[in-house]
Amino acid sequence: MSTLNSGRLRLALLALPAVVLLLPFLLAVVFVLRFSFSADTQSIDGFSLERYLGLLDPFFLRSVVLTLKLAALSTVICLVLAVPVAMLMAAITQPIWRRVVTSLILLPMILNLLIQSYGWIMVLGPNGIINGVLLKLGVLDRPVQLLFNEIGVLVGLVQTALPLAVFPILGSMRAISAQYLEASASLGAAPWRSFRDITLPLLKPGLIGAASIVFAFNASAFAVPLLLGGRRVQTMGVAIRDMISPMFDWAGAAAAGVALIAITLATLMAATWLSTRTTQWQGAR
Amino acid sequence: MATATSITTPVASPAASPATPRAGRGSFGWVMGTLAGLGLLIAALPVVIILIMSFSGGTNLDFPPQSLSLRWYGAAFDVLFGDKSEGTMSAFSAMTSSLIVGLITMLASVSVCVPLSYAVVRSHGRWRHLAELLFTLPIVFPLVVLGVAYLLMTEALSRETGVDLGLLRLAIPHITLALPFVLRNCLSAMSGVGVDLEEAAMSLGASPLRAILHVVVPLMKPGIMAGLIFAFIISFNEFTVTFFMYTIDVRTLPIWMYSRTVSSLDPTTLAISTLIIALDVALIAWVDKLVAGKGSLF
Repeated sequence: MSTLNSGRLRLALLALPAVVLLLPFLLAVVFVLRFSFSADTQSIDGFSLERYLGLLDPFFLRSVVLTLKLAALSTVICLVLAVPVAMLMAAITQPIWRRVVTSLILLPMILNLLIQSYGWIMVLGPNGIINGVLLKLGVLDRPVQLLFNEIGVLVGLVQTALPLAVFPILGSMRAISAQYLEASASLGAAPWRSFRDITLPLLKPGLIGAASIVFAFNASAFAVPLLLGGRRVQTMGVAIRDMISPMFDWAGAAAAGVALIAITLATLMAATWLSTRTTQWQGAR
Repeated sequence: MATATSITTPVASPAASPATPRAGRGSFGWVMGTLAGLGLLIAALPVVIILIMSFSGGTNLDFPPQSLSLRWYGAAFDVLFGDKSEGTMSAFSAMTSSLIVGLITMLASVSVCVPLSYAVVRSHGRWRHLAELLFTLPIVFPLVVLGVAYLLMTEALSRETGVDLGLLRLAIPHITLALPFVLRNCLSAMSGVGVDLEEAAMSLGASPLRAILHVVVPLMKPGIMAGLIFAFIISFNEFTVTFFMYTIDVRTLPIWMYSRTVSSLDPTTLAISTLIIALDVALIAWVDKLVAGKGSLF
């Protein structure tokens, strides 16, 4: 009995340092939550809901709507691109090519967002590649504004979240038996029909998972709207940063952060609810 | 937006020509191939453009470059290591801070995750779920809110006690962000180490601690190395939380680059960017070789 206890104690002691290093994170979470209920804007003092009520001003509500709009649009575009990419990746049999495509897709995850935004500035900017090509082809007479507005931010959001969409879908894609598609093709179904009636329904769990991850990730995006929106696209992330400096409304920023998490969580819960409902429905069928 | 419409229109069209499945297959393959190609292009385009433009011979950023040269790499080395690189606001000092913070993040996160993963795996998986859940929290938590939280906490600490954390101001949040990834790699390495080897060492007279240090840890080496490298990559490339936390004295290379390019982009920054990309790619390739595709970035 004593050896069992000492063994357990030993394991607990081995786990302890990691828990200690996680402690600042847990403290920070509690701290930001407590700060959001502070009556004072720059220190924790008293209890008040004033910071949350303060978020109801038109300026912040506009940024909530903008954030949700950009997150939803980028989620749809990500899914439309991720399904074909996942099909391609599932179809590749040669290890070398599989590796090349996997690395290409993972690139946006691994590399610095700041550096990648430099690339987009050169692609989308007024003297950038897209404008250059379109001007040369005579499609445009003067450059279109693609950067430092919602278009630029949307492109950046799609790019950075694409890997998050591809991998859950790829997981579901690999689980689909090729026999289903062969059977449907041998029965005369055109590829589009097989895709709509077999592939997409079977992909549903992966699609819902991918959509919720991408949405949550992009709803809380900060670097992309800051760098490609040039502070003119006030998403919630950028608005929170502006509350910290230049506005020095720390408690307001804390409340806005909590609101951001609440919105993200609500979306994820809705997505989980939706996915369990649809799987039940499929099972019933 | 063109992509969204191109997928919806053909869905209805094959019904019009059910007798010609080949035509249907053609349009399906074509649309899917185009979208997949577009996805890959969007993923890789920014990096490709940076690589090309960093070798430009011209002074502007017009694409394609008129001539190729290495002049901006010379300029980049000058900025990073040259005479102008003195003082706390310089690129050299930012790079040094980045490296030190990266080193602290690496060593701290790996040295706690190795014993934790031992404890989790040897407690017969009972705690594994809880530990994974707890240590996944930092990745699900929005970076902006993490930035706000750490900033408010650090400022309150320095106001109440006068403690100046120095570079730890950045290292502590970086460790938080690295822990989930490091733990994942250590856990997968530890799962492969059988309890019988450890017992064999102990039956030959080794103490439990010695058995861990001399048998278990060497067997975990690939996972430990992968954890070290991932921790460094995460810290070295971190932007969002660092953007909330930096001060005049404490800033990393990405923050230095941001303040340099906030008004306009220049080819020297692109050369520095390319060097950072090369470092990241080399480190990832190294991890890939170490763990033979079993590394978990997610």
